[in-house]
Amino acid sequence: MKLTNPLFLAVTLGALAALNLVAGEVKIIANSSVGASSVSADELKGVFLATKTSLSDGSHVEPVVLKGGATHEAFLKEYVGKTDSAFETYFRSLVFTGKASMPKALASDGDMVAYVARTKGAIGYVSGGTATEGVKTLEVK
Amino acid sequence: MHAQFDFTVDGLPVQVHSFLSQGFAYSNDNNYLTMQTSKGSFAMTDVGVNVSAQLTDRLRVGAQVYDRDIGQLGKWHPTLDWAFVDYKFADWFGVRAGKVKTVLGLYNDTQDMEALHTWALLPQSTYPLDMRATNIAHTGGDVYGNISLHKAGSLAYTAYAGLRSFDPWGGYYYFSLASGFNIEKISGHTEGFDIRWNTPISGLTAGTSFVNSTINRSGQWISGPFLGYSYSITNHPERTVAAYLELVRGNWHFAGEFRNWNVLNEISSTILGTFPYQDGDQESYVSGAYRVSKHIELGTYYSHYHVDSPTAGDPNSSHINDNAATVRFDLMSHWDLKIEEHFIRGYGNSYSAHGFYATQNPEGYKPNTDLLVVRTGWSF
Repeated sequence: MKLTNPLFLAVTLGALAALNLVAGEVKIIANSSVGASSVSADELKGVFLATKTSLSDGSHVEPVVLKGGATHEAFLKEYVGKTDSAFETYFRSLVFTGKASMPKALASDGDMVAYVARTKGAIGYVSGGTATEGVKTLEVK
Repeated sequence: MHAQFDFTVDGLPVQVHSFLSQGFAYSNDNNYLTMQTSKGSFAMTDVGVNVSAQLTDRLRVGAQVYDRDIGQLGKWHPTLDWAFVDYKFADWFGVRAGKVKTVLGLYNDTQDMEALHTWALLPQSTYPLDMRATNIAHTGGDVYGNISLHKAGSLAYTAYAGLRSFDPWGGYYYFSLASGFNIEKISGHTEGFDIRWNTPISGLTAGTSFVNSTINRSGQWISGPFLGYSYSITNHPERTVAAYLELVRGNWHFAGEFRNWNVLNEISSTILGTFPYQDGDQESYVSGAYRVSKHIELGTYYSHYHVDSPTAGDPNSSHINDNAATVRFDLMSHWDLKIEEHFIRGYGNSYSAHGFYATQNPEGYKPNTDLLVVRTGWSF
């Protein structure tokens, strides 16, 4: 197949655009007390699996999740590598062995932004189009 | 994460969680797991409640009470399941002190929480309901941590030492009484570690565990030709080595585990003198499950239990092989129902304590046991 094949190019560009759209669906937000302006994918995964409680800059962080929905599922798939039910099972295994608490779960993007804005160390996620005044947006490297 | 019961005490966040399960078991022939399963048994209930609080960024405390009534086990005598203080110095190093669930293989510390598993019964070769209490927790301390290996994934470790837990209403006591001797004194310690590698391959975990432990006990024969004579058993450390793999990818979940256990006992009695007794077993399973939808999951496993010292002339005493198939319905986010069929072949030897007891099967064992288990669980 020639790389200049118009059909191949169209499919490739379409796939890249779709990937970009998926990544752009979720915005990572944090309380202003969090010093970092970016977070690695590994750090983010560790924070939401309760194996990391601080970022590389030393900021203590507390994960906050949405109760459900497309943004929640997209976040888990993209950054945690689990389905919603697998994520819940994972956290229940920690809770019932005493190793962690259930993360705070919020009903909407608006609730998430409001909670993260007022809670020291909170780190969460919202859909890409959500207004995020009062919180900082973290770039995922 | 819909149902959470949390509140604050003097500004400190406190969480309360609970689980409850009820089962029904029906077998064609042999009675299993100390229940009268050949007649159908609802004596399969357990419950746990825990309270925990994050006192500071690094310090948390909590405790859980567990109770069960499964056949002749538990009999509604509650036990302190775990209660500890946890201080995390850094992500790579923390300590826990108190009564702590023992990390051994994939599921030892979570074996009671049926909601976490596809199965109504975990593979009984490796996680026998009747022997739960002897491995479930230790009173002592753990060190633990999670080390990033960057592109190579991460490594989670736990190392521990402490006193073993014993439950007078558990299978170990029941096994002793069923074998003709009571337990008047019992003690033991345990040390071990678990290392699990979260590999760079998405969803793939590989790990190994090692346990060195003792059970020293003494008492009297309560039946048979030595009735009334005392005995004592000194346990040179028994050792368990485990290796496991787990792959969770999309809606698929595969797991496999192998354990080797061996022990050398020194048995002393006023009538028989002192003599050694060596034993061992191998425990393994492979499992696969597929989540069809938010509400339905299908699964199957093959569980193999092999004893090193079968009863002479009885080939069915050398093993317990179990083919199981499960349908799990998640009726609501915190309520599930499982229907599971087991095709069990063999019954182990008289020292196996893996579900089959002469006291529950006075007319002897049949070689095959087909078992239906229906179990429903609720948790928040």
